[in-house]
Amino acid sequence: MNTADPTSARRIELILEQVESLPTLPVVAMKLLKLTSDEGSAAQEVIETVKADPSLTAKILALCKNASVTAKSQALTIDKAVVLLGFETIRNAVLSIKVFESFSDDPEPGEDDLARFSRPAFWRHCLATAIAAELIADQHREMHDLDAGEAFVCGLLHGIGKLALEHVLPKSYQRVIELTEQTNANIAEIERRILGIDHHTAGKRLAEKWNLPHLLCDCFWLYESPFRSLPDVEHKRMIALVGLADLVVRKQHIGYSGNYQFADDVATRAEQMGLDPTRVATAAERIIEELENRTKALGLAETPTSRVFLDSIMSANDVLGRLNTRLENHRSKATRQTKAIESVTRFHANAASSARSLGDVMAAVISSANASLGVGTYAMIYQPSGQTEWQINQYNTDGNVTRSELVEPPPGVDQLTNLTRSNDLPVDWMAVLPWLSDYLMGFADLRKLRLLALPCAWGTAAVIVHDQQTLPPDEELDALAYTWGSSVGSATQHEGARRLSEQLAESNRVLTETQDSLLRHRSLARLGEMAAGAAHEMNNPLAVISGRAQLLAMHLSKGSKDQQAAAQIFEQSQKLSDMITALHLFAEPPQPQIRAVSIDDVMQEAVQLMRKRNPKLPALRFNSPEKLPPLRTDKQHLAAAISELMLNAYEANPRNGVKVATQVDPLDNRLILKVVDDGVGMDAHTLEHAFDPFFSAKPAGRQPGLGLARAQRFVESIGGRIELISQPDHGTTATILLPIVAESEKPMDHAIPAKPSAEENGENRVVDTHP
Amino acid sequence: MTDSGSAASSELRNKQVFTTGEAAEICQVSQQTIIRCFDAGRLTGFRVPGSRFRRIPREELIRFMKDNSIPLDRLESSKKRILVVDDDEQIVELFVDVLERDGRFDVRTASTGYDAGILSQQFRPDLMILDYMLPDVNGNVVCNTARDNPVLANMKIIIVSGVVNQDEIDDLLQSGADDFVKKPFNIERLMSRINELLEI
Repeated sequence: MNTADPTSARRIELILEQVESLPTLPVVAMKLLKLTSDEGSAAQEVIETVKADPSLTAKILALCKNASVTAKSQALTIDKAVVLLGFETIRNAVLSIKVFESFSDDPEPGEDDLARFSRPAFWRHCLATAIAAELIADQHREMHDLDAGEAFVCGLLHGIGKLALEHVLPKSYQRVIELTEQTNANIAEIERRILGIDHHTAGKRLAEKWNLPHLLCDCFWLYESPFRSLPDVEHKRMIALVGLADLVVRKQHIGYSGNYQFADDVATRAEQMGLDPTRVATAAERIIEELENRTKALGLAETPTSRVFLDSIMSANDVLGRLNTRLENHRSKATRQTKAIESVTRFHANAASSARSLGDVMAAVISSANASLGVGTYAMIYQPSGQTEWQINQYNTDGNVTRSELVEPPPGVDQLTNLTRSNDLPVDWMAVLPWLSDYLMGFADLRKLRLLALPCAWGTAAVIVHDQQTLPPDEELDALAYTWGSSVGSATQHEGARRLSEQLAESNRVLTETQDSLLRHRSLARLGEMAAGAAHEMNNPLAVISGRAQLLAMHLSKGSKDQQAAAQIFEQSQKLSDMITALHLFAEPPQPQIRAVSIDDVMQEAVQLMRKRNPKLPALRFNSPEKLPPLRTDKQHLAAAISELMLNAYEANPRNGVKVATQVDPLDNRLILKVVDDGVGMDAHTLEHAFDPFFSAKPAGRQPGLGLARAQRFVESIGGRIELISQPDHGTTATILLPIVAESEKPMDHAIPAKPSAEENGENRVVDTHP
Repeated sequence: MTDSGSAASSELRNKQVFTTGEAAEICQVSQQTIIRCFDAGRLTGFRVPGSRFRRIPREELIRFMKDNSIPLDRLESSKKRILVVDDDEQIVELFVDVLERDGRFDVRTASTGYDAGILSQQFRPDLMILDYMLPDVNGNVVCNTARDNPVLANMKIIIVSGVVNQDEIDDLLQSGADDFVKKPFNIERLMSRINELLEI
């Protein structure tokens, strides 16, 4: 019971309010209680009080007649009766009658047959407890805190809380009774669980409401508490006595108490509270006899002794029968569990013998299902780790996959693990079935499909689809489902872990590549510094050489050998200077100027650059079948890279020229530009070093340079890369892969014609320093 | 023009104060005309203290010549003045050789930014060929200083450098340089660019 729950706390409060609103104890009973608890009160007052209630008078007189054979002949008056019986007896009798009268509304017709709270049986229990308490107290007269009369009252009323609860919440209390019978538990526990409050508390409240003496109140409240744990009050032993009497009576199965728990045996309990077990036993022997006398005397029940015995025996039998049923239930449950364990063991034996991959585990689950649920068509739905799609595998009876499909999850359900498990199809599973039928084949009748969720620690690991109509009992099915689910779940985790480690390896590879690239960039940075220094240091002397050579050439007679030599000096120094510039630019390329350009403009520029370098080259064929979107890139860089690739292609002596083709890769949204030649091609070694600066395949006869290295540098500077595919004698295909950035940029940018700006002109002049 | 005549006129051109005879030669009028104008106050000057010799300051003579629409050829050289600034001696020599070979240029040289500043103030070059990397300051500082000086407002500046860095070039052009030429240079192209800038 969760008392922290505000609704339940409120509920308890409501129940208590109702308990407190119970009709007060009849005036006469109140008055009698007061009078008899006061030693000094006169007998006359008791007599007057009883006389005021005619029906009570009649009952008391009847009590007298029954109690004393000798009194029968005498004319009976209340006065005589009080003298005859003693006013304690009168008080007890009155309480017995009046207290139970106050709860004596008759059951509604028809409700009678229900297993409802049996008041007569309960009353008999109460009376028996009262008698037991009285008898035990009587056996221990030397104990002054145990007054037999008080013990009777306390015992009689100890269970009044139950009456109160039953009166206030008849329907709920009926459930309490039922549940107590089913579980053979202590009724107080069930009361707390169902009502939120037990009869102890209810009794205490009632006692407070009725202004009953503290002794009674504490008895109602604490009679079931162990002696040790009772508060240190003067009537501590009386409280325990009521508990003991209750236990004695229950052991004898007299009446109905609702408590089926026997925490201690009577002797132990008696010893704990300082009583003599033998005398308690003596007292216990007299209970039934005494009970018969009292009920007769009170005219409350006409049950003869034999009947009381019979009832007791029947009641005991009843309990025994219930115990038997429970044992039988346990036995069949154990049998079922044994079967479940056998199935699970079989599954584990099978699964353990095969490898532990997810596929193997699922195959093992399916073959186990074939064995345990029945041979049939099975499918398994699971969600591969890290994926949004679900996988559906269909199996044949051998547990082999016959069909496997990766599918979109059904609408409204994303994570398979989130599906809650239940034997009945919950609402979110209902969405699964129609969707499922789209993917399943081989099931004869889709309407017979059933789902079995395989739970694991973090939800539903997988779902088995089957067509078995008769399933093993729940225990076995549950055990199997959990076992299968855990196996699939851990295999999935294992797969996930393996994928992660693969991803880690992939990341490592990328990291290594990045490091390589970083290293290359570092050496490029050093090269850049060097080239910048070289440009300054070398270009000055070169300027002198070149300038003097030019001046010489001007002075010398035109066409003379000396003049030609001077012109050569000029040309070569110029080439050297160009190379220094190229190296410098290679190491420290200018920042790309990103603008919207059309690929046609880029190609035009590339062809111009190429023909500037080698005017003998023919115009190119340019295949651009589709309308390509504008690019956002540095036109000069891209054009320079393309021109290098084209120059390289022509140097390979192509038989049928050089082809340039462009297309957009819709998947990655990138531009693919291929420069294809059918020339000499490259061997593996050349291909490997193709991007190295100053590398050349030919040991001599070909001008080594920065061509491909420069092209790569430019393409990298605008975020792309170059791939080379080549085979000796089959030509080379150089592919530029360039991401198409931000196609969704402001459309204005696209509208701007890609006119070369003044800056670009300047740059152009600097980049290309050929005369 | 003989060599001696050239030398004499060159001497005249650089003078700051003129005698009446020199002024007459420069203006291609008689000495009497100059004296008459001087005495009438139309050509102001001063007399040498303790004598009656008239002397005419250069600025006053130029004003007088301009007022009377006398061509300034003989006072101001027709040659364009070019200042070459570079710390590399051989480069400087090369530029001087190239420019003097042309014959239309009056060339002075400096090897530091400081020298370049002083010389340009005196020499008032029409064009400066400026090496970007000088021992004391960088070319852009020289550029900025020259552009802040109203006397040098019309001076053209060509930056030369062995290092090509587009961003630096852009900065230089922003600082007021008129052009950039990379070392080593093509003489013909350099000369045509100079002619363009000087409009000759």
